[in-house]
Amino acid sequence: MTSRQKLLYKFASVIILALAVGLISYPKAVKFWPAAYEKLNKLKINLGLDLQGGIHLEYKADTSQIESFKVDEAMQALQDVIERRVNAFGVSEPVIYTTKTGSERRLVVELAGVRDINQAKSIIKETPFLEFKEEGAPDESQKIPEDVLQQLNAQAKQKAEGILKKALAGDDFAALAKENSEDPGSKDNGGDLDFVKKGDFVPEFDKVLFDPSFKDGAVWPQLVESQFGWHIIKKIEQRPASTSGDAASTQGEGEGDNLEVHSAHILFSKKVNPAPKANWISTGLSGKNLTNSTADFQNQGLTEPVVSIQFDADGTKLFADLTKKNLSKQIAIFLDGQMISAPTVQAEITDGKAIISGSFTVESAKDLARRLNEGALPVPINDPIRQESVESSLGQLSLEKSLKAGMIGFIIVVIFMIIYYRFLGVVASLALLIYSGLMISVFKLSALSPWQITLTLPGIAGFILSIGMAVDANILIFERTKEEIRRGRNILGALDEGFKRAWTSIRDGNVSSIITAVILIEMGTGFVKGFAITLVVGVLLSMFTAVTITRTLLKVFMGEWIEDKLYLIGVKSQKN
Amino acid sequence: MINIIQKTKYSYAFSLALIGLSVLSLFFWGLKFGIDFTGGTRMEVKFSDSGAPTNQEIGDALKDLNLKSLIVQPTSNNSVILRYASEEDSVNQNVTKNLTEKYPDSKQLSVDFVNSSVSSELKKKSLWAIFFAVVGIMAYIAWAFRKVSRPVESWKYGVGAVIALVHDILITVGVFALLGHFKGIEVGIPFIAALLTILGFSVHDTIVVYDRTRENLMRISSKEQFPDIVNRSLNETLVRSINTSLTVLLTLLAIYIFGGESIKDFSLALLIGVFFGTYSSIFIASALLVTSYKMQLAKK
Repeated sequence: MTSRQKLLYKFASVIILALAVGLISYPKAVKFWPAAYEKLNKLKINLGLDLQGGIHLEYKADTSQIESFKVDEAMQALQDVIERRVNAFGVSEPVIYTTKTGSERRLVVELAGVRDINQAKSIIKETPFLEFKEEGAPDESQKIPEDVLQQLNAQAKQKAEGILKKALAGDDFAALAKENSEDPGSKDNGGDLDFVKKGDFVPEFDKVLFDPSFKDGAVWPQLVESQFGWHIIKKIEQRPASTSGDAASTQGEGEGDNLEVHSAHILFSKKVNPAPKANWISTGLSGKNLTNSTADFQNQGLTEPVVSIQFDADGTKLFADLTKKNLSKQIAIFLDGQMISAPTVQAEITDGKAIISGSFTVESAKDLARRLNEGALPVPINDPIRQESVESSLGQLSLEKSLKAGMIGFIIVVIFMIIYYRFLGVVASLALLIYSGLMISVFKLSALSPWQITLTLPGIAGFILSIGMAVDANILIFERTKEEIRRGRNILGALDEGFKRAWTSIRDGNVSSIITAVILIEMGTGFVKGFAITLVVGVLLSMFTAVTITRTLLKVFMGEWIEDKLYLIGVKSQKN
Repeated sequence: MINIIQKTKYSYAFSLALIGLSVLSLFFWGLKFGIDFTGGTRMEVKFSDSGAPTNQEIGDALKDLNLKSLIVQPTSNNSVILRYASEEDSVNQNVTKNLTEKYPDSKQLSVDFVNSSVSSELKKKSLWAIFFAVVGIMAYIAWAFRKVSRPVESWKYGVGAVIALVHDILITVGVFALLGHFKGIEVGIPFIAALLTILGFSVHDTIVVYDRTRENLMRISSKEQFPDIVNRSLNETLVRSINTSLTVLLTLLAIYIFGGESIKDFSLALLIGVFFGTYSSIFIASALLVTSYKMQLAKK
């Protein structure tokens, strides 16, 4: 490969990279191609709480009562409980983690887009989390009165009979189905139900379908009533079941068992009141009434792990009343708002002992028993020791303002570079544009990796600052190149020399920025971290763009032609 | 070529004066620390469009809570910033309750609360961060100037870079002491981040100039004296130094003017630091080399 070829390959890669990062940063460019647009538009920058609004809460975990070797486990359990509670609250993508500061353990809860801060706080700290509930009266608010129901159904049946007459008279069955059927699944294809085997449908329907007297192409002369309503049935054709390829169906022996029937129907649905939903009501009996709980096995060491609990005096009385009242009814046990089991009461229980079964493993049974013993939370927490909350309108405003600042900063830098470095400045601006696209792409793509980068307000500041710093590498190179030209080198020689000599300065200079940025990341608080991470990423990427992209672009665009137009790169011609 | 080195005494005088003023304002007024370091609450509340109530009215609304060191500061858009000492989160909840009762249309734009255990930890963390940054930078400088060069020993380059760095940091801190006293600008974690960034930037700038000096020393034509070589190197890197700082300053200015309240002070700190960082790398750092060279000569 000649060096010219190599250069062209490099140039092609730069173009491809530029297009790729351009598309990732600005998917709207391919809006005319919806498939690609949708995929690209799914990539989003993960915005910090300060830009989208939200709340950051830090709690101190009181680990004084926990044996030191169990603290990690307990903190994990705490995180799990809080996660469950917050999820029940309906916050999208809550971030919950624990931290360690010296010997102090903390729980951090980050909730994006939460409006009511105090509600969020109370949900995190809510204490009663094991609850016993009894069956209440079913919820009847949706119920339609019987007489109205009967009237409606009579009307439906009457209508069905009318249509049946038409069908029997030879009207187009498919058209009738399309117009009248209330079966959303088959209505639009003329009521067609395809081939079925015996037993696939409800018995009333099935019986008619496989009746030997029912001929292909005929309509059953009566309405067929099922739990769904009234059906008008047309048999289209039948065939032996073996053709379906289902071997099991050949085992049948009865007349219709080895047949498949292709039919169509028109449904007039029957209105019924929905089955009442179980309506669990609180009984006042909760985790507070426990004195002791242990992990156990049901039936003396047999298979099923359970948690057996012992109520205190109040609890024992409450539980006795409850079991007496609900004999042979269910009592549901709710954990953090989710039902874990609902055993049926077999007898009144007066000794205050109960068993919670559910789909426990030995571990989870032990875990629950421990949590019940320790009280509300596996590790007690108090009021938050730190809070940062940003209302979403303020976050939005910050985002808009900082983006505007970024654009303006970018434009000013570009104007400056072009005025001062002319043609070189244009190339540097192109490189800067690719650099910005690269940064945005890294932010967007990081969401797909385990190392997601969150963009915060200081992060945007760091990004804008890095635009200024990214130019620095270019300026170092250009100044060096101009110097070499003044010393009498030809353009390409000067360019190479410029890159070579400027590189050590670029590298050395950026190392110091990276050192401080890494220390800032280690400091670990939100503001500083967001800023420092973008700065590190920015410094690394700007070095990369300076030595690869700017260099390739310059080598492609610069050549002998510029020797007598040195003013284009801001060097006074020295030939005269 | 501009003879920068010859004018050293002026830049020394200027810098010493600025450092003196900085130390004085630090001594007399000190920095005004924000809740990151003192603990407490900072709350931004937006009132209905008809306008924010007066500070007096807000003070009355919160009177029964006996808030310690309450400061009410109106900002733009019918908003005010409340600051008060608080140790418990319940205090904040009461403030919220009182405000929403009296001003149902008001909205809390942001609430930052730091309890004293966190603020003392942040203070400690910041000090460590500064310590590690200084150590890291010194180690880096020692490495960058490890090759022995004549006539000035390499460690003196290191000392020169550190003096320039201390100069930049002191002046920035001094300006903020001044701003804290007259404008109430507070210093928090963002300020520490700005200081460390300035640290990195200042060294970066100085290294570029020193690098050129060393490069020129290596291909020395024996006639040229050390001060002349330093001066020539300064001139050769002058355009680069100014242009680089200019682009960074321009972007920082864009953040300062358009970026919104939340990062204004942060960008201001960077603006000041980067400006003086450039100044010191041109007018102080190299001059220090020449001064030490002259002292060496005088000793002999």
